[in-house]
Amino acid sequence: MHDVEMEHEPGSGEGEAKSPSRIPEAFSGALMNIGKVVLTLVVALLMGALVMELSGKDALEAYEALFRSSLGSRTAIANTLLAATPLIFTSLSAAIGFRAGVFNVGAEGSLYLGGFAAAWVGFTFTNLPSLVIIPLAFLAAGLVGGIWCYIPGVLKARLAVDELVTTILLNYVAILFTEYLVNGPFLVPGVANAMTEEIVMAARLPRLAPPSQLNASFIIAVFAGLLMVFVMTKTRLGYELRATGDNPVFTRWAGISVPAVIEKVMFIGGLLGGLAGAGQVMGVHYRFVAGFSSGLAFSGMTIALLVRNSPIGAILASLLFGALRSGSATMEIFSDVPRDLITVLEATIIFFAAMEISFDFFKRRRHDR
Amino acid sequence: MTVETISNILFASLRVSTPLLLAALAGLISQRVNLLNIALDGLMLFGAFAAVVFGASLGNTWLGLLLAVILSTVITFLFAVVVIELEANLIVAGLAVNILATGLTSYLLEVLFDARGAYSPGGLVSLPRITLPVIESIPVLGDILSGHGVLVYFSWVMVVLVAFLLYRTPLGIHMRAVGEHLEASETAGIPVKRVQYIALLLGGALAGLAGAQLSVGNLTLFTDNMINGRGFIALAAVFFGAARPGLTAVGCFIFGMFEILQFRLQTATSIPSQLPQMLPYLIVVVVLTALNLQRRRRKAVITE
Repeated sequence: MHDVEMEHEPGSGEGEAKSPSRIPEAFSGALMNIGKVVLTLVVALLMGALVMELSGKDALEAYEALFRSSLGSRTAIANTLLAATPLIFTSLSAAIGFRAGVFNVGAEGSLYLGGFAAAWVGFTFTNLPSLVIIPLAFLAAGLVGGIWCYIPGVLKARLAVDELVTTILLNYVAILFTEYLVNGPFLVPGVANAMTEEIVMAARLPRLAPPSQLNASFIIAVFAGLLMVFVMTKTRLGYELRATGDNPVFTRWAGISVPAVIEKVMFIGGLLGGLAGAGQVMGVHYRFVAGFSSGLAFSGMTIALLVRNSPIGAILASLLFGALRSGSATMEIFSDVPRDLITVLEATIIFFAAMEISFDFFKRRRHDR
Repeated sequence: MTVETISNILFASLRVSTPLLLAALAGLISQRVNLLNIALDGLMLFGAFAAVVFGASLGNTWLGLLLAVILSTVITFLFAVVVIELEANLIVAGLAVNILATGLTSYLLEVLFDARGAYSPGGLVSLPRITLPVIESIPVLGDILSGHGVLVYFSWVMVVLVAFLLYRTPLGIHMRAVGEHLEASETAGIPVKRVQYIALLLGGALAGLAGAQLSVGNLTLFTDNMINGRGFIALAAVFFGAARPGLTAVGCFIFGMFEILQFRLQTATSIPSQLPQMLPYLIVVVVLTALNLQRRRRKAVITE
């Protein structure tokens, strides 16, 4: 198992916080966490500004274009929520894995396979009403995505095959396989780009704020986040996965099957990735398009690290990253700054997360002594 | 299949396994000082980028190669400081290097050269090929072993040098001691941090060369994300070889051979290209699985 030590998400301290004297402490702890997140973001933005200035771009102008086009109007905000939607799913996927000490980066592959499964349901079962076909498509996507990550999960749990390496390599397999599907068996004659035929009207998710493409999958994503808070704090699985993340050896002695927990966590991580793909297919593209993700799972990982695996934090930070993503297109056009800058910001955030994780770990260990 | 086809496949396998081998040696050295080097993929991308960009702007491929090594080593130094001094999480920091590499190289490619996705400067020549004097005239073997680019031979020399370093020098003994038992090494007076720095930096230089081999070894071309997970395949080769230089090299050759086989399948058959392309990745996962299955079984026998 990798040496990943994550701090408890803010919600998990509630039990201890009941004695009156500790409430202010818990409160200041939460404030401190928010402070750390803000500080990390500021440093990342400064780093981005440095890169832009060094390469002869106007950083202020670029950031202004970025935030104006992501927050400046009702449609802009709707588009930010739209861009946040898949990120909520993928950040939850990364968070649940990290919390259990599992490095599951397989959500990208699940997103592709799940997205394809949803599209397949959407253009195959043409006679079903919306109320049947939409849940069916989400179910298919979740199952396919879940099983895809369950495979490296079993390999990790039973044979200690490094899940980070396998999930990263299997992502390439999933991307290539779906590319094959749209170029081979599901090729649409007469269409230039690699994509399937369109899904039926009944399978399209309702739009929430036209003309934006913002759709019902945003609500499903937020609901998934709230459900995850419940699972993490109130269920047996939540207890088991937190215990596994904190101390796998102790967990085994407590009579919990660590391999079973790892397998479940990997399945859920893949399931969330699959739902992300289904949401994009049924809410945005209305068909499966080859290579549509552009690293959504890696952004999700960044978010999970930034908010230290808190589901609520993941929803909020996804909104912010959604703003960055939706604004980056405009930034590219108006201030001539390539949108790859966002990836540089993400890398900076991950660097900081890497340092903080060990810092907390270090502190806790010293405290124990 | 004719002898010529087979020797062609083996020749090409040696060529494409070179970046894997250089990166795997980098991963192997870090593994030996107890540091799992997740950053290989990103370091290779930096190396590939620098070799093309500096090679073209300075008009000399060798200078490009040198700067690829320097850039990759500098980035590794930052990574090393973050990991060793600030005790950052190794894996998360490694992933950060990878993500920084994809973002920064794509960004710079567009800002500096107005190039999207790919950059192939005119006038830049690839690294020279070498014909091996005596071996060249041996039938079949000569066709397989002679006529490769310089870095191919360099990587074989490095396998021997790394083995020598690990098993025959005081530094190597220190490295292995740190890898075996960090606390005990500290007590024994080994400068643990310094040993870890040296191991990581050496690996950084090798990873830079690995990337350069991909971008200026045969063609002179940089494309976005051109490493395509090879850093992780190299890491898998280290697992395969249990961090031993010879066996790791064998692993790289096997993985390289599947890369060539998939090329052959693409060109020689009518199978859609994506299916063969999946092959190298799947093989790595299958090999890692088989390996751990076997190791677990062996362990079970011992404990019985």
